[in-house]
Order: sequence, then structure tokens, then C-alpha cells
Amino acid sequence: MQDIQYIGEHLLPGRLGHFFILTAFVTALLAIVAFRKKVVHPDDISWLQLGRIAWGIHSFSILAVIGLIFYIMVSQMYEYQYAWDHVSADLPMKYIFSAFWEGQEGSFLLWMFWHVVLGSVIIFTAKRWEPGVMTWLSLVQVVLVSMIAGVYFADDFRMGSSPFLLLRDTMQAPIFNNPNYLTLIEGNGLNPLLQNYWMTIHPPTLFLGFASVTIPFCFAMTGLWEKDHTAWLKPVMPWTLFSTGILGLGILMGGAWAYEALSFGGYWAWDPVENMSLVPWIVLLAALHGNFIARHTGQSIKTTYIFYILSFLLVVYSTFLTRSGILGEESVHAFTEMGLEWQLVGFIFLFLLTGIYFLITRNKSIPVIQKEEQIQSREFWMFVGAMVLMFSAILITFSTSIPVWNKLVDVYGSLMGKGDMTPYHKAMPLDPIDHHNRFQLWNAVLVSIISGVALLLRFGAMGWAEYKPRFLKHVGISVVLGLLLAYLFSLWIQLPSWQYIVLLIAASFGIVSNIDYMINFAKGKLTSMASAFAHGGFALMLVGIMVSGLNKRTLSENRFAQEGLAEGLDVGNNAFLIKDLPMFMNNYWVTYKSDTLEGLTRKYEVEFVKVSETGDTIEHFTTHPNILYNRELTKVATANPNTKRYLDRDVFTFISGLPPEQQDRANLEKIDSSLQYKLHFLAPGATTKAGSYNIRLDSIMLGTKHKEYDPEEDDLVLSGMLTVTDSTGTISEKIYPTLIVRKGLLYSLTDQVNDFNLRTRIKASALDSLFPLDNMLAYEPLVIRSGETKTWRDLSLTFDGVDKNIDHPNYRSMDGDIAIQAVISIKGKDNKTHIARPLYFIRDGSPLNMKAYLPDIGLHMKLERIDPQKEEFHLMLARISDKPLLPLEIAQEAPRNDYIVLEAILFPGINLFWAGSLIMLMGMFIGLYKRLRKT
Amino acid sequence: MPVLILALMAAGVIMLISASKDMSTYSTFSQVKRSGDTAKVVGVLAKDKPMYYNAEENPNLFRFYMTDQQGEVHEVTLQAAKPQDFELSEQVVATGSFVGDEFIASSILMKCPSKYKNEEVLVRSNM
Repeated sequence: MQDIQYIGEHLLPGRLGHFFILTAFVTALLAIVAFRKKVVHPDDISWLQLGRIAWGIHSFSILAVIGLIFYIMVSQMYEYQYAWDHVSADLPMKYIFSAFWEGQEGSFLLWMFWHVVLGSVIIFTAKRWEPGVMTWLSLVQVVLVSMIAGVYFADDFRMGSSPFLLLRDTMQAPIFNNPNYLTLIEGNGLNPLLQNYWMTIHPPTLFLGFASVTIPFCFAMTGLWEKDHTAWLKPVMPWTLFSTGILGLGILMGGAWAYEALSFGGYWAWDPVENMSLVPWIVLLAALHGNFIARHTGQSIKTTYIFYILSFLLVVYSTFLTRSGILGEESVHAFTEMGLEWQLVGFIFLFLLTGIYFLITRNKSIPVIQKEEQIQSREFWMFVGAMVLMFSAILITFSTSIPVWNKLVDVYGSLMGKGDMTPYHKAMPLDPIDHHNRFQLWNAVLVSIISGVALLLRFGAMGWAEYKPRFLKHVGISVVLGLLLAYLFSLWIQLPSWQYIVLLIAASFGIVSNIDYMINFAKGKLTSMASAFAHGGFALMLVGIMVSGLNKRTLSENRFAQEGLAEGLDVGNNAFLIKDLPMFMNNYWVTYKSDTLEGLTRKYEVEFVKVSETGDTIEHFTTHPNILYNRELTKVATANPNTKRYLDRDVFTFISGLPPEQQDRANLEKIDSSLQYKLHFLAPGATTKAGSYNIRLDSIMLGTKHKEYDPEEDDLVLSGMLTVTDSTGTISEKIYPTLIVRKGLLYSLTDQVNDFNLRTRIKASALDSLFPLDNMLAYEPLVIRSGETKTWRDLSLTFDGVDKNIDHPNYRSMDGDIAIQAVISIKGKDNKTHIARPLYFIRDGSPLNMKAYLPDIGLHMKLERIDPQKEEFHLMLARISDKPLLPLEIAQEAPRNDYIVLEAILFPGINLFWAGSLIMLMGMFIGLYKRLRKT
Repeated sequence: MPVLILALMAAGVIMLISASKDMSTYSTFSQVKRSGDTAKVVGVLAKDKPMYYNAEENPNLFRFYMTDQQGEVHEVTLQAAKPQDFELSEQVVATGSFVGDEFIASSILMKCPSKYKNEEVLVRSNM
């Protein structure tokens, strides 16, 4: 391409951005060296100072990069691909953060941002551990910055994808031959699915969670490198607890988002992306327990190292899975490809190999206690529990990694020269939810039982002989009360198989034993209750999962539309609801009451009424699911569910279908052109027939009562007010087919009687016959006085008076106007009275007027002059025909357009799930508080 | 204690093996028909063939034609509402099996090249 001088581009922010990315990269490298030197030369404070300065500049650079991206996005500089891709002129500012981390580069920066924050906390608090931990954190930061570096090596190897790429460099398009292309393009904007507050709060929490997993990893690597295998176990604890709490919260928010705003119909679907955020958390929990054991007994230090390293590696692996595009065929919400596959693989291997190297070379120096753990000790069961957690993580990772196994098969095939390996590829389980539930159920059973028992035991089985009776007593009480609680739950929860009975018993035992611990062992002291909260919350969460998942019931069934279904097919989850027609489904009368358009959102009102046998209303509520249109209001972009919440259950509602013409305007024309319209000419008051229906034209109106009409200034509107009656004359309905002239374009609004499948529209020729140009009219004068009645042709006109309240639709008042409207009642042959209100006004000293037009009698009337002395009003009258005809087109067999397809699901006891999860996380934060207070 | 760890590990291996039996395969219509199993068929929507969804008659019945990777075109029945923007899908993964001559999908995953990046939508016929 020849050099083009582009107009209006802002290249400075991009150059600055590149500069700061490179600075961040270099300073992170420098920080590695400096902090490491400080470790090697502990007495030389200058290395520490250099490291801190490097980290400071690095932090500033990251913040500057983020700031520049925001600047580009807020200013809508579409010359940058990132701005063009993620923002648009109509994107509300409150979503600017969501737009920032919608893209991969933004989410990497979010991750780095949290590292910067956490690293700074380390610098201020970690004391002896600062240089070691910061060495590793800087290394991670180097790798992350390289992901957004956008630097080319040897022409075809690109390191990272820069957020400062120019749009014209990322794509070839003829538009870039135009130097002024910036004035011609608009931003893509944020995916409507992501335009909600969850997208604002979920990613930062989740990424803080991910970033916080790095810190314990850095501690562990420092311990290994420095061969100081025990001292780090204490200071790492608060970080681990913080990380489990925050990452858990982030995952839970993802579930809440899926449940509240997406159409999954649940909070967890075992989707690969969900799984891969869960797995590092589970492994970190295992590491936490290993850490407890190591601190209290000196055992399992090696395991603790391995678990901490694994938890970080799994975060990296999760990044690889969700960002490399490898999940393509399997996941609902993986990121799109960014061309970083090999860099991400390198990321994993760098830390995997480093971890292995240090574990092997330090293996001999890690202290191992020869004494075997006793089966009556707490640490023994904690260790078993940690193994169960690890196993759970392995299983989830194994199934989720199927696309990776396929890739490995391909690599093997190409290495061995075997050609196409696709026949050996495997796919995810057909029903992933059932698959994971079936296996994870046993891990949940083991975790609840083991955690319940372990908490009642003591580290090192201290004083077991005398403690034994007390232990047995409490376990016994917990078993008995647990069974009782399980029985009570079973009255509420329908359990489909014996496996779930086992799980319910285990969870009930978990709840009871942890409450027992809080009362009898922690003695009401909050800081001693951390683990009881965490484990009891987990057990409660399990009950919530069971009751909301197993007892989940579809309310929306469709009993009237089952014909034509093959044998053995299931009924489906969607119900067909006609407006204002109550349908009975699963004990509820459900009615689609109304819909209203607010901005780009159409809100539906769906009413649920439960009636007792005696006819009393025992439950009544309304939900408001909505749909979001695209910017042009022509197409549905997404549907949002709405949930009615009770303490003991939720009713989830979702619009899963709409009439085709409401989903997409393009369908309206398609349907309309497939209908057979017949033309009828109707005079006001006249009636015509379509099939067995009578259609009467009540009036031709300037303006309309059509519910879809959204007035704009200077619209010219013509509509017919029609009454449609069935053959028996019992059912009649009014409809308003409408023509609109807006900015020189003609729009037609059809209107229909859905119960009769009858659709009407006005033929465009109506404009010529009913809106003749003024110069085609031959006006005749008529002078009239106030109160006087005069005859003009077959009409009798009475001048009722003048009105200063101007309501002429075309009149826009200006300062200094003197305006009046004459009020004239007109009686025609039909003996009906019509009122004409012609307008007369004086503007800047000149007399002006605006005519009144009565389409029903075809009369045009102007008030041209007022003679104040004689009190005479000079009217001008014209009429083309004394019997105007409306060209009306009527089609029969028109499809209905007044329905919704509704999905409604009852989730009983879902609040137990939320409560249990939150109590569990609270336990972690109490543990964190306890440790922070100690130091 | 080592006994218990070994037992746990053994149980773990057994679980892993049985979990791997849950894996499915990517297949084509003719293969699925021959085997009689449930499998995942990857393909594209046959845009020149008709699509059927009439909420008034049955809001839980959606039929479309799909071309699998061998080029075979077959009708797919999904017992759910028609997904939004299905016409625009670039790729469809249908999980299902044959009942007689009819391919009944229990879920379909579709990829859309909408102007909002690659959006993917999963539709399940039942929960």
C-alpha cells in the first residue's frame, strides 16, 4: 500500500503505551536480578533498594498502560483496534471497565494490576521474605507482560498481542485507502450479554483470586531455593487463606452471574471454563491443609511444596485452556484465539520445569519426620482429606483436558508420521453434568465426613487415652443427630438414588459435627470457629446443591401442544403463552400480561397465581424477564431472565422464544410477503367482509392509536380505526393499521386481530388520495361570524368560537406569536358532528395559517383572515371527494404475534446453597483475620 | 497409613478408568446410525434447507438440516426452543442419537460469528 496521510489519528497514546509496556518488561527483569542479588548478598541493602525502585517503575508502567487504554477507550479512538473492538458511542460509561477486561489483553492487564498491588503489599509487610518472594513475582510479571508485548522476532514470531495495535494494521480493508477513514467507522461495542453489573464485579474478583494464588507459590519457591523449608510455612498462611477466600468468592460470583443473568438455568454447568477456575482453588485448599499439618507437626512439607506449586501451575494451565482456543468445540464461554498458544505452553513449561528442578535438587534437604502419623491424630485425617481434594482436582482436570489429549495425540501422530489422527480423538462426556456429579459426589461424601471427624481430633493425637471417650461421645452425638437431620431433609428433598442418600447423610453429619465443635470446643469464640464455619458451610452447601439441583422442577410445560410428537420424546421446558390468556401449568395459572419498551429493553410482565381447591389465591407474584434489542431496535440481541426470590425457593423465568417478526424485523417483511392480501376500498362508516368476519371503518385518523407507534417530530401519520367483529357478533376488537411518513420515508404498521388470524395494512396509495397536495385543491371562500351557521355544499357549518389553547399538530410556537384556533362544528349527510380547528397566527407581523383536515369527510379548511371590526372570519374550504375511500388490505391466516415462549424453573432451597457457600468463605476470612491479628 | 493411602490411590485409579469410559467421540451421521450410540456430530447448518420452528404448534420442537464433516446432510430434531440467531451459526455440534431415521439431539452447541466476537451458545433439550 502506498503511503497515505491519515487524518485525525492520535498516534501518541499508542507510542507511549508501547514504551510503557517495554519499560514494564525491562524493569521486571531488573527487579528479578536485584531482588535475587539481595537474597545472595543479604547485607547489601543497595540491591534491595534497586529492586524496590525497579518494582516501583514497573508498577507505574503497568498503571500507565492501563490508564492509556482507558484514555483511548473513553475518547473512542477507533484507530486503535482495542477501542474499536470493545467500545461504541452508545456504550454507557458504567460499562467502560467491563469493556476493558472483555478483551484478552485487558484481562491480562487486570491480572498484572493485582500482582502489582499484591507485590507492593509484600514489599511493605514480608520483611525477611520480601526479596525472595519478589524475585519470583517479578519473574511471573515478566512472562505476563510478554503476553501483551506485541514484539516481533524474525518477522513471523510474535511475542504477545499488544492492546495498542492500530485498526488499519490488524485488517485489510478498502476503507483504509481513504485518508479520512476515521470519520466513517464506528465501534463494535460491548457484547450485550456482558452489559450487566456482574461483568463489572466478577472479573476483578476472579483475577484477584488468580493473582493471589501466585503469592503462596512465590513463598514456596523461595523456601525451596533458599533451602529454608520451615520458616516460610507461617508467613504464607494469611496469603493462602486470603487467596482461597477471594478465589472462592470469584468463582461463586461466576455462578451467581450464570444463574441470575444468563440462560443456563443454574449456577453451575461443569463447563470447562468453570471447571478450570475451580481446580486451582481445590488444589490450593489441599495446599492449605498440607500447610497446617507441616506447621503443627513438621510432616508433609514436601507435599505442601508440591500442592502450592501445582495450584499456581493450574492457574496457568487454566489460562492456557481458556485463551488458546483449544476448547473451541467444547465450551460455551472460552475466549477467542489470540495467537498465543505456544507462548502460553511456554508459560506452563517454564514454571513446571523450574518447579520440578527445585523439588529434585532440594529433595534431600527437605526435613522428613520418620515418626508415622497416628490414625487418631488430626493431621492424619487432614492429610487424607487433602488427598481427596487432590483427587477431585485430578478427575475434573482429566475430563476437562480432553481437547488437550486430542492435541497430544495429533502431536504423537505427526512425530510418528501416522498422518491424520482424528479417528482417535475423544470428545467431552455426552452429559458433563451427570459425569462430574457422579464422581465428585464421592469426594464430597469423603470431605464432609473426614472434615467432621478430623476437627474433633487433636494434632499428634495428644493425650488420646483420656481424650478418647470424649471424642467417641461427640462423634456418636453427631452421627445420631446427623441421621436425624438427614431424615428431616429427606422429607423435603426427593433423592433419586442411594448415592444421594449417602451424600445427604454425610452432609448432615458434617453440619451437626461442626455446630457441635462451635458450641463445645470453640466455646463461642469466633476466631476458633474458622474451620468449623468453613467445613460446616461446605456441608450446608452440599445440601443446597442437592435440594436445588435434584428438586429443580420445570414449571413451564405445554400440555396443549403435544400432538405430532414421536413416542418417547420428552415434553420440553418451554411453554407457549398467549397474551392475557392464563395457562395452567404445575399448579400455577400463568399469564403473559404485558410488555413495555424502555430504551433498548423490552420488559415482559408474567403473572403467576396459585389457587387453592376452595378457589382462594394462595400465592401471587409477577416476574419481569426481558429482552435486549440491538442498537437499531430491529433485532433481539439477548434475553435476560428474571427470578422471583423466596426464602425457601426461587422461580426463574426466561423468554426463550418470541414471534419471528418480533425477533427480527426482517422476518416481518418475509411473513408479510407470504400472506395473501386482498384490497378493499372502505368509506368511513362502511363495512366489508373477510371470510366470516365483518370489518367496519369507524374513522380515518390523522394520528394513530397503534401500540407500536413511537412518535417523532414532523411525522405525518394516517391510520384507520377499524372494528372487527366475528360472524356471531359477540367478539369485536379495534385495530389501527397505520402509515407513517418520516424523513421522506414511508413506513407501514400492520395491525391484526390474533384470535381471528386477520391482518390489515393500509395501501401506500392512500397517501395520494387522502393527502392531496395543497395546490391540487380548489379552495372556495366562506365568511362566517361567531355563533352563525352556514351551509357549504351538503355540509352545515357552525362557528362555535375561538380557542387560545393551540393543539394543531404542526404548530411550533415561537416568542411573539399571536395564535388562535377557530372551533367549527360540521354536520354532514351522515348526521355526525365533526369538529375542525383551523389555526390562524401572526408571526413577525405577518398573518399565517395552518389548515384543518377532516379525512372522514374529505374536508380541508383554512382560516385565512379575521376581520375584527365586522367580527367576520374568512374561511377557505376545499374537498376533492365527498366520500373518501381508504384502500385497506386484509389478509387471513396471518400467524399470531402476541405470544411469548416462556421457560420457568423452580429452584427449591437454592438459598441454602448461597448461604452454605458464603459461610464457608466466611470461615476462610475468619481464619485470615485470626492470623493477621496475631502478627 | 500407607495402606490407606494405597487404597485411596487404587480407588482413584479405578475412578479415573471408569471416568474415561464416559468420554464420547466426534462422529458423523452414518457412523452414529450404524453404531446406534449417542455421539457428538460436528457440522454446519445446511442453509439451503428449510428450518422448522412453530411455537404455536410446539414450542419445544426445532428441526433443521445439518451437513456433517463427511458432507452428509441430515435432519436434526431438538426438543427445545429455536436458539436465537441460529441462522448465523458457523459451526454446530449436535449431541444425540438416532431413533429410527430421525436424529434426536439432546443438546446443540453453536458458534456464531456475530459482530460481538465469537459467541457460543449451548442449548439443551432437558435439564
